[in-house]
Amino acid sequence: MSSNHLFIDPDSPTPTDPPGTGVRGLWQDESPQQKGTHVRFEVNRDVFSEAVSFAVKLLPQRTTLPILGGVLIEAGDDSVTLSAFDYESSARTTIGAAVGEPGRALVSGRLLADIASRLPAAPVEFSVDGGRVSIRCGAGRFTLLPMPVEEYPALPELAAAGGLVPGELLADAIGQVVVAASRDDVTPVITGVQLEVGENSLSLVATDRYRVAIRDIPWDSADSGIVEATALVPARVLAEIGKTFAHAKTVRIAIAEGGDRELIAFSAEDKAVTSLLIKGNYPPVKRLFPQSVEDYAVLSTSDLVDAVRRVSLVLEREAALRFSFSPDGLTLEAAGGEQAQASESIDAVLTGEETVVSLKPQFLIDALGGVHSEFVRLGFTRTDNPNKPGPVLITAQTSGDTGPSSFRYLLQPNLLLR
Amino acid sequence: MSRQDGRDRLVSAEDADDTGATILHADLDAFFASVELLDRPELRGRPVIVGRDSPRSVVTAATYEARRYGVNSAMPMAVALRRCPHAVVVEPHRDRYEHWSARFFEICRTITPLVEPVGIDEGFLDVSGAGRAIGSPRAAAALLRERVRERTGLVASVGVAGSKFVAKLASGRAKPDGLLVVPVAETVAFLRPLPVDALWGVGGRTGERLRGRAISTIGELADTPPATLRAALGDALAQRLHELARGIDPRPVVTERAERSIGRETTFEEDVADPAELRRVLRRLSDDVGARLRRAGCSARTIAIKVRFGDFRTISRSRTLAEPTDVGHAIHEAAVALLDAAGEIPPVRLIGVRAEQLGPRTVSLWEEDAWREAEQAVDQARDRFGRGAVRPARLLPDSGGPRGPRRPA
Repeated sequence: MSSNHLFIDPDSPTPTDPPGTGVRGLWQDESPQQKGTHVRFEVNRDVFSEAVSFAVKLLPQRTTLPILGGVLIEAGDDSVTLSAFDYESSARTTIGAAVGEPGRALVSGRLLADIASRLPAAPVEFSVDGGRVSIRCGAGRFTLLPMPVEEYPALPELAAAGGLVPGELLADAIGQVVVAASRDDVTPVITGVQLEVGENSLSLVATDRYRVAIRDIPWDSADSGIVEATALVPARVLAEIGKTFAHAKTVRIAIAEGGDRELIAFSAEDKAVTSLLIKGNYPPVKRLFPQSVEDYAVLSTSDLVDAVRRVSLVLEREAALRFSFSPDGLTLEAAGGEQAQASESIDAVLTGEETVVSLKPQFLIDALGGVHSEFVRLGFTRTDNPNKPGPVLITAQTSGDTGPSSFRYLLQPNLLLR
Repeated sequence: MSRQDGRDRLVSAEDADDTGATILHADLDAFFASVELLDRPELRGRPVIVGRDSPRSVVTAATYEARRYGVNSAMPMAVALRRCPHAVVVEPHRDRYEHWSARFFEICRTITPLVEPVGIDEGFLDVSGAGRAIGSPRAAAALLRERVRERTGLVASVGVAGSKFVAKLASGRAKPDGLLVVPVAETVAFLRPLPVDALWGVGGRTGERLRGRAISTIGELADTPPATLRAALGDALAQRLHELARGIDPRPVVTERAERSIGRETTFEEDVADPAELRRVLRRLSDDVGARLRRAGCSARTIAIKVRFGDFRTISRSRTLAEPTDVGHAIHEAAVALLDAAGEIPPVRLIGVRAEQLGPRTVSLWEEDAWREAEQAVDQARDRFGRGAVRPARLLPDSGGPRGPRRPA
């Protein structure tokens, strides 16, 4: 991190005297007072540590612009805001603090996070003076060079109005679909999760061409007036958003359309995350789902997960498992080349015709991890093309017909090759 | 199976139970002789022997008409002609056999992609996932026989069973021009009366050793206590034969997936210096490689070219693709980029394209790649109408007529 710049903020009030009494040590130990901003606050150790770790989570692992590796710390009257921004996404959180001197500072995010996570259980004193950042906690004391805050880009503004979703359901839905998003940057649109706001519902859709995962959750348009909108959010950012807001009662989602920087913002309580939207047309994957499926099998979700995990031990990388469904149940077979083979049979209730499909085990495990139900239904769609087996529709098996399942996962089988 | 003359032919009734009998063994009847008859239809119905008519040569193949006189493959020609003096002897044409063999396997792959060629004129098909368009195993076998007859004029006999080994025995019994389904429940009954030599892995010595212990049929083998078999044959072979005798054969139908690379190259009659001509040839080679990848159910992560110059100096270049492909167009793009990167080159004597780092192709839910769709359509047209049916415009011979401006591909 190139943090050997001296920190000077021209907008800040000019310091006058050395810091007031009651604050011991650090300043007196430093070299003669430099012209610079003084920031000073005291904060609860756990609150501080949690806030720092939230802010840095979205920071890029590696960046060509070192300044984007910083965390912006802004001390106000009785609170401190920590922010991180990399032009694509931003994270911002505000925590209560006893502020001695308001002001702004920029410090290395990784370093601050490492320090914050290991501080002893004692109040944290944070201060900037004379071109040094100082963190004191109990008997521990750290001194770091700040980064040039005047070069830090302005963070995007949050739109005031947004629709509301329950935090727990949002986290759930994100967890169910992000696994299906592509990780291959060759096709950027499918590295995102498509959010589709409809009347009273929010759909999350992800695909990597080989599978599509969809989850619908309730949407309260509240004061936003958003009743129909789509937003393509990078899956990596959305995954962090899911974890961040899992315990929030409600999450406000605002979509800022128009202009050349389309933006989505998620906020709850004292935290907010924004992300630029991915541009481009999302493939119309919803219409790949069959209207109805006549042939299907019902299985115990955990039995299937266990069997798939066991049998795939002998598989070579990228290889698929063969699933044979018959009135007697399901037989899984893995041919691991010359070295090893494995097979296992488990109970399955088959309705309709016998079927053999070849599926990538991880793709199936991802689906089974999403159904959140004791029993799972695998539906087999029909096809006339010998070069393209019909996709398998995976949903939770619930008692009775409760309408379309809120989670649906469509998986394209491989050709039946050993 | 060449010794069979069709006298103990067995075909199954329409209503034979084919549940679970998902393995087909398709075998072309009297293949070499039948191919010769395609070119000389006037010989149909007569005893025909394929081979060179010289005292030291042997019979390559014989029609069923000739086999009835006791003519077999590998028999000295002199003996064959003594047994059947009025037989017509025709010279073998290897290139014709290869051509028709390729057509035969193309037709097999219209039934299921899961085809395992065995030799030039027979192969296994696993129709367990063939889908509704094809229907039951019996229907698949009938359709295969019909397509082979329609599109080649050759005759395939097909055995249908629950395992490869039984399917192969069944096709042998069905010859000529037959279809035999061995229902899974009747497998053991079907096997029992057959001689032990019919089991895979039982050759001359093993057969003798078994007969020395009064085991001459598969039924007798199945009834022999395993300990006795182990003493006679050793643990591994005893175990395997005992399973085979009870119709158990776990070997799956395997396609060309085991291949590590797929390549095509061509040598010019005269060295070629024209870059446009080299690109055109790369296009043809790339399309071939793509078609073979698709047939094998593979996609390649790396594309390599090989260029040999007039002075026999040879260069090889390769590049790894962002995404594995089985599309001729993408292979061609990579190959041309490699050729261009080689810079100024002397006239070329040989050029080749190779697809490497093969893996099983993952089928996507939707095709974004229009080229792939187009090439799949070409595959299908070629399966039906033969290799020359469809080709890229730039590979068509010059018509000599006026041309519009060329559009980029």
